Amino acid sequence: MSAPTDTNLLSERVKALPGGEFLMMCYSCGTCTSKCMIQPKLDPNYNPRRLIREAVFEMEAEAFADTTTWLCSACDLCYPACPQKIHISGVINAVKALAVEQGWKNPNPSAVVDIFTCVACGMCVEVCPYQAVSLVETKVAGRGLIPVATVDPGKCMACGMCSAACRSTSISLPTRHHDKEIIADLWAFLAEEAA
Amino acid sequence: MIDHKPKIILFQCQWCLYSAEDQTWVDTQLPVNIHLVKVPCTGRINTLYVLNAVQGGADGVMISGCLPEQCHFKEGNLGARRQLDQFADFLDHIGYERNRVRFTWLDLQDRGRIQRDLAQFEADLTKMPKSEALATRVGGHHD
Amino acid sequence: MVDAARQPLIEVKTFTEVEKVEGFVGNFKVTLREKSKYVRADRCNGCGACTKACPIEVPNYFEMNLAPRKAAYVPMSQSVPLIYNIDMDACIHCYKCVEACGALEAIDFSMTDKIVEEEIGAIVVATGFSHFDPSVMSEYGYGRFPNVITSMEMERLNNSAGPTHGALVRPSDGKPPKNIAFINCVGSRDKRYNPSCSNFCCMYSIKNAILVKQMHPGTDVTIYYIDIRTPSKGYEEFYDRAREMGIKFVQGRPSEITEDSETHQLFITGEDITLGKVVEREFDMVMLNQAAIPQPDQNQMSSVLSVAQSPGGWFMEYHPKLRPMDSPTDGIFFAGACQGPKDIPASVAQGSAAAARASRILHSDEWHIEPTVAVVWPDRCVSAQDKSCGICSRACPYSAIDYTQGKAAEVITAKCHGCGACVGECPHDSITQLHYTDAEILAQIRTLLATEPEKKILALRCHWCSYGGADLAGTSHFEYSANERGIKVMCSARMDADFIYEAYRLGAGAVLFSGCHPQDCHYITGQVSGSKRANRLKTIFERMGMSPGRFRIEWISAAEGDKYARVINEMQATLDAIPPEALKEEIERLRPEMARKLTRLPNIPGVQQALDQTDEIIQLMTELHMEKV
Repeated sequence: MSAPTDTNLLSERVKALPGGEFLMMCYSCGTCTSKCMIQPKLDPNYNPRRLIREAVFEMEAEAFADTTTWLCSACDLCYPACPQKIHISGVINAVKALAVEQGWKNPNPSAVVDIFTCVACGMCVEVCPYQAVSLVETKVAGRGLIPVATVDPGKCMACGMCSAACRSTSISLPTRHHDKEIIADLWAFLAEEAA
Repeated sequence: MIDHKPKIILFQCQWCLYSAEDQTWVDTQLPVNIHLVKVPCTGRINTLYVLNAVQGGADGVMISGCLPEQCHFKEGNLGARRQLDQFADFLDHIGYERNRVRFTWLDLQDRGRIQRDLAQFEADLTKMPKSEALATRVGGHHD
Repeated sequence: MVDAARQPLIEVKTFTEVEKVEGFVGNFKVTLREKSKYVRADRCNGCGACTKACPIEVPNYFEMNLAPRKAAYVPMSQSVPLIYNIDMDACIHCYKCVEACGALEAIDFSMTDKIVEEEIGAIVVATGFSHFDPSVMSEYGYGRFPNVITSMEMERLNNSAGPTHGALVRPSDGKPPKNIAFINCVGSRDKRYNPSCSNFCCMYSIKNAILVKQMHPGTDVTIYYIDIRTPSKGYEEFYDRAREMGIKFVQGRPSEITEDSETHQLFITGEDITLGKVVEREFDMVMLNQAAIPQPDQNQMSSVLSVAQSPGGWFMEYHPKLRPMDSPTDGIFFAGACQGPKDIPASVAQGSAAAARASRILHSDEWHIEPTVAVVWPDRCVSAQDKSCGICSRACPYSAIDYTQGKAAEVITAKCHGCGACVGECPHDSITQLHYTDAEILAQIRTLLATEPEKKILALRCHWCSYGGADLAGTSHFEYSANERGIKVMCSARMDADFIYEAYRLGAGAVLFSGCHPQDCHYITGQVSGSKRANRLKTIFERMGMSPGRFRIEWISAAEGDKYARVINEMQATLDAIPPEALKEEIERLRPEMARKLTRLPNIPGVQQALDQTDEIIQLMTELHMEKV
């Protein structure tokens, strides 16, 4: 008889989570990797096929440290392309959830809320595709205990939808996609043209 | 008719160009009258950006993003379409013509289309008068 | 083909459809529709003057629509017999062909389809396969990008008798391509379209690549593949030769083809698995190696011939390993890809085997069939008493039962395959199956449940699947509960409701109703009848208040020994979870209800006698056993 399966194995835990069921069906054709935009655009080391193999072969530390685990935005371009009908982003999300459970932190930047100007209108909560924003009672200096938008860095993919929707410009992305930088850059170009 | 090249602001979602060749062209070979603002997603484009572009005297604004179902962030393009389309209607209402704000939703296989769409947009804008109606501080500085 | 046509004992009928097949082994009556060619076979000399005269051009299907043909045509220059044909869908009735034909007077516009009946001894089905249409896979752009072609189009382009006389050119500009990519597994090994492997395409693409290299040495050829499968003799050496010739192989299934809309150059994006990197490569032309799929009218053919289909739609053989050329119907044989994709050597071997099998029938005056056929008791059949019924006839997957109201149903023994569906369905117990009579099976049930029935799990298994599964569990030493007692019948369709009522009346702890997976049924639709009955029983038992899990329905294939063992162990666990007192109480409570369902049982011929004898034997054995103790 087949040996009882060890539920502590990474592959078993991934399979037990929604989306991870068909993990073992992967025959490593590479369609997902080549359909994905992240490898050419963001991180040459990104590879969902490799992540699936890491999960299949119980390479837990490698899988949790893999950039693939943290960069997948679940756009699901690969899902309809997969000839084995594996929900790849489901597998990646399962690995990510297991990593977060074990205390791993998302290494990528996430949206930042200015708690002094946030009016808790909830627009950001509405638009977030990842349910990463919620209104949380927070103690804010000078404003008392008030609800403000709070970003869960474990879920945020830094798309900026919240920032575009914010009516009080209280949410922004750090570094190069900051509101002020973008607007300043626009004006610089338009001024230079006119001159 | 305007006698010089129209100023165009191109907001480009960083994922919408599938072929590396197109992305390289946009990144390095855009004509000088077109200014690229790369954003993580069209959903990131705050109406404020468009408003600032208009106020700064841009003749046209092009927004290039992914087709529905192909958004890198699941539904950012849908949010952008809702928000920016409505805003373009509003701009039209206050005097910035509707066809000065143009969307181009690119499919994975639309190789080279960005160049053609930009050229077409530029040709269309050239036929229109210079946009100054809403320009507030042309040549000035934004603080 | 020419040789076959010349052989006096072989009659070749082209452009002919099989409309109906009646009768049985050695005595088939086949109705054929000889479609009208509008050219008289006895007069046409194949000169081709009509084609020259015809002013109408339509796409040439044989040339994969890469070239035109006339409305007066032959499908290809090697057509046998070489008789021209007028395509009436395209013809404009200008009668130029009639003029051109002149004194021969071979063209006859008044011809109509002819329906012919033939007496046939044995049938060999060699209807072949069809190709998957890659235009549904938008990622590869077939149909939109002119330079993306299929393997069949490549075949014609690279053929010296083809539309370009062997010049390999790009459809977009007619220029010879300098580098070509082949993509394998387009639509095969793909759960979205065809999950199975198409068997011959790896070799086929290597062959095409070598041909291109030989005829156009300067051309670069790259083959994208998931796995290269070269399992037969000489195949791996052929693969070696291709690499020696400089053909490049890339492991990794491309995800997207894009096109430069001006130059029509193609760009393949794919992960090069060995490099672990996504690489975009530029090509002048891309060939898609499409999946082999069943013929579009395979379903229709299967019902005309009354033969089952395997998963995927191919015709189902009698036994996948031991009798791959036989259909489950005596006298019908398979040759080639209609039974499953296969390459030339395998098709030839199967075709020869099928021919040999067929000639055995033609040389025999009598034929041995399986002995497990159905037999009607005419005096018990209600139809003989002029009542409307016909249930047996409807249950038969092979239309082997003649039913006319007023006459007892009659089994055409030579057509009967012995599934027992009619026996299981007959509400009047007027039909039985030799070697699987009610008396025999009920006696088995009584014996197996003679002692401590409440501890027993009675498993009804079908011959082809779940019996094999149980056997595999045994030979593989998968441990399962020793309380299981198995009974074999030919098909789940034979598993009479009476057997299950009787088992519970005798106090069985649990009953397993098992058979083939729906698509695997050996008897076309036997499993469907069985499954319907089982589900009906399940509802009945639920209403009676039987503990859940005491009646279980499972479809277990012959390869699923582990599943068989697991199911039995799970049933044992369910049984163990019911307190013995509660189980006893439940059995006693349901016993009269079960008995009520079985009042007709003793009237079935042989049943009472068999049960009495069984009781006697059980009695004797018990006494013997007690003496020993």
